[in-house]
Amino acid sequence: MALYKIHVNGTEHSVEALPDMPLLWVLRDIVGLTGTKYGCGVGACGACTVLVDGDEMRSCQLAVADIGHKQITTIEGLSKDGNHPLQKAWLAEDVPQCGYCQCGQIMGAAALLKRKPHPTDADIDQAMSSHICRCGTYVRIRSAIKEAAAGGSR
Amino acid sequence: MNSQSELSRRTVLKLAGGAGAVFSLGSFSSLACTPVKTGVAEEKTKKAALFVPNAFMNIAQDGTLTVAICHSDMGQGVRTSLAMLLAEELDADWHKVKVEQAGAGDNSPGGLGTGGSSTIRTMNRQMREMGASARLMLITAAAKTWNVDPATCKTEKGTVVNTANGKSIPYGDLVGAASAVAVPNGQSVQLKAATDYKIVGKPTPRVDNPAVVTGAAMYGCDVRVDGMKYAVLLRPEAFGASVGTVDDSAARQIPGVKDVVKVSNGVAVIADNTWAAIKGRDALKVTWNPGPNVAITTATLLEGLKKNVVDHKTMPEGARVVEATYQFPYLAHATMEPLNAVADVKEGSCTVWTGTQGPDGAQQQAARILGIPAENVKVNVMLLGGGFGRRSGADFVADAVEASKAAKAPVKVIWTREDDTKHDYYRPMSYHSMKGAVGADGAPVGWSHQEMQAGAKPSTDFGGAGIPYSIPNAGFLRSGAPSPIPNGAWRSVEHTQISVANECFIDEMAHAAGKDPFEFRRGLIKDERLKKVLETAAEKSNWSQPLAAGSGRGIACFSGYGSYVAHVIEVTVKGNAIKVDKVYAAIDCGQAVNPKGVEAQIQGACCDGLSTALRAEITIDKGGVVQNSWYDYKWITMEAVPPIDITHIQGSGDFGGMGETGYPSVPAAVANAVFAATGKRMRKFPIKVDELV
Repeated sequence: MALYKIHVNGTEHSVEALPDMPLLWVLRDIVGLTGTKYGCGVGACGACTVLVDGDEMRSCQLAVADIGHKQITTIEGLSKDGNHPLQKAWLAEDVPQCGYCQCGQIMGAAALLKRKPHPTDADIDQAMSSHICRCGTYVRIRSAIKEAAAGGSR
Repeated sequence: MNSQSELSRRTVLKLAGGAGAVFSLGSFSSLACTPVKTGVAEEKTKKAALFVPNAFMNIAQDGTLTVAICHSDMGQGVRTSLAMLLAEELDADWHKVKVEQAGAGDNSPGGLGTGGSSTIRTMNRQMREMGASARLMLITAAAKTWNVDPATCKTEKGTVVNTANGKSIPYGDLVGAASAVAVPNGQSVQLKAATDYKIVGKPTPRVDNPAVVTGAAMYGCDVRVDGMKYAVLLRPEAFGASVGTVDDSAARQIPGVKDVVKVSNGVAVIADNTWAAIKGRDALKVTWNPGPNVAITTATLLEGLKKNVVDHKTMPEGARVVEATYQFPYLAHATMEPLNAVADVKEGSCTVWTGTQGPDGAQQQAARILGIPAENVKVNVMLLGGGFGRRSGADFVADAVEASKAAKAPVKVIWTREDDTKHDYYRPMSYHSMKGAVGADGAPVGWSHQEMQAGAKPSTDFGGAGIPYSIPNAGFLRSGAPSPIPNGAWRSVEHTQISVANECFIDEMAHAAGKDPFEFRRGLIKDERLKKVLETAAEKSNWSQPLAAGSGRGIACFSGYGSYVAHVIEVTVKGNAIKVDKVYAAIDCGQAVNPKGVEAQIQGACCDGLSTALRAEITIDKGGVVQNSWYDYKWITMEAVPPIDITHIQGSGDFGGMGETGYPSVPAAVANAVFAATGKRMRKFPIKVDELV
């Protein structure tokens, strides 16, 4: 066990954890941010996606000892009051069904829009194809990303 | 309990009787089911300030309408649609509606089992009657306040309006007066005509989505209780194996691991956090008593099924006989949220928090394990990160209860994805032997379908046809062979195999008759509503317009759960890839509650249909499941999802079910489309391209 200082959503947290504990479980069990979901633990579904220095990252694949000074953004820190363009578009398109994968989907989409503010259909498919949604909300996810990219004017 | 509550309790019971449901009813205001604790004083003030006409709703002085939801929401949207039904007849202001989930135990109105696309079908009348009877009470209260005849009052958007002078009172201002009004007798409650609906039938966003998109929504796995420990189990690889010896010395060395205990489903490692529990679990050295099933494989199971095929019904002489066999694999539910539960076992009582489709079953399971009365177990139903039938089981609740009992502390049990994949109640594998015949004029004259289902009892009794087509001399036989693999209900239950096989075989019959598969079906369909969706899907897809070489269209239809659906699917087969280009769906679910929800179910069922037609299967080796996770139990992802064109026929029928209905015609239409594109019949699911060449 060791003590780590990590920066999540602009706040520093001191966490005592095994060095190989994935950020996912640090967030969920120690910091208490449960919007980041466990789906597989092997980086195969995208449910645990967070931003690390602005880049998309599967939090189940990042050990706490490897975080260092990197800035972590979780769904809880994506916007102050749920008004990120993607969150608004997600509501406008009524995307979620069971909703469990959606935080990861939104974080993945946020990284995509940061890289490519105006993604093509192919860009969206490529970026989002590593995110599984068992309810099959893909059609609406696609629409919501386009809507957010268009500034909510679609 | 005052007489007012007693009265409403009886009224609700009486009304509930019509839906065939059994409720344990109590005062609604004690229905706090979220882990959020309210202070007693606050609770009392709240009660005084509420109008509680029945166990399903209350209205606060600020006008907030809270609706109790007695079914579980696993993505089908019933927390929204059930509230819409009650709000409709109440003439509520939809913007002031809140929902509260009912669980089991602790005097709540009872969480009911959810499955079989039954929620809207069984609950719609009841929810509407609750709203309508409360509306009458509010009118009576307002009329008394104004000293006018109630007949001169109407309601709109959360207010009672005096039609004589246009004055209005918000419902919130009538909380006290309405609480003094007797609950009307069920028969005197008049329900609206569908043409007067203002909320039902209107596309309505889901009530939970604002919490979902900010990460605030609470699923079972998100529950945190003071002093809670975390547990992960080591489970046997083979079904029927049991724990022999346990060497937990290495596991106990992992910092954070608190205890290792044997439980019914394996060995539980209890720790301070999930990661320590996982590491502890991986460090266990357990020997297993292998049990009787280690020689079982998919091949041995299939052999057993094939062996039990009996002679088909005799086909009329001189007719052209068509024969085919179809094969379906085991399927796991693979809910996005792996199974989990939190249990807090105390002396003589227990509290459970979990995403369950069966709160009563969870309650009984916990009570059995602990040897306490069921009423001493409270089950809090959380949001379900997917269900599809899997969360009707209570095995994950048993894990948490046993672990909490041993730890003498609240425990959250998390199933890893691998646990979830390997220890499901699976959609059974099946083998279908089919025989049919067409006469010289191309009309079908015989149909025989034998479904050999793993785990089903052998039988030789042919029953009714189970098809929506007029075919003389038609019969269906369900039989099977023993299997140690646990079976469970999966989306659309038995129709995942039977109706898929039927829709593939009717296509083969059409081909044998030299007829167009759409026209052939249309000529044989008995039900006008089914015929209409079939015609609609065909029309939307330009069915008669040919596609380029290498592409093909398949058609299939299904009626069940009170609804009707047809699909036309276009595929292109190029080299070693099957690409689904476009899906056309036509749906008639009668009176829709929330058209957004209906569309979502069609899209979702379509993704399940494409996944199981082309990718997903569970196979068995050494008596256990071979697959582990998403990388080898493959589900569709965005790049493979085609445009889905949905035509929603706003039917005139009763409220139909939508969770299951959209599935069966999808895999069938895909297989039929592959035939149209290549001339090859694909009869084994999932369809594998290498079997095409």
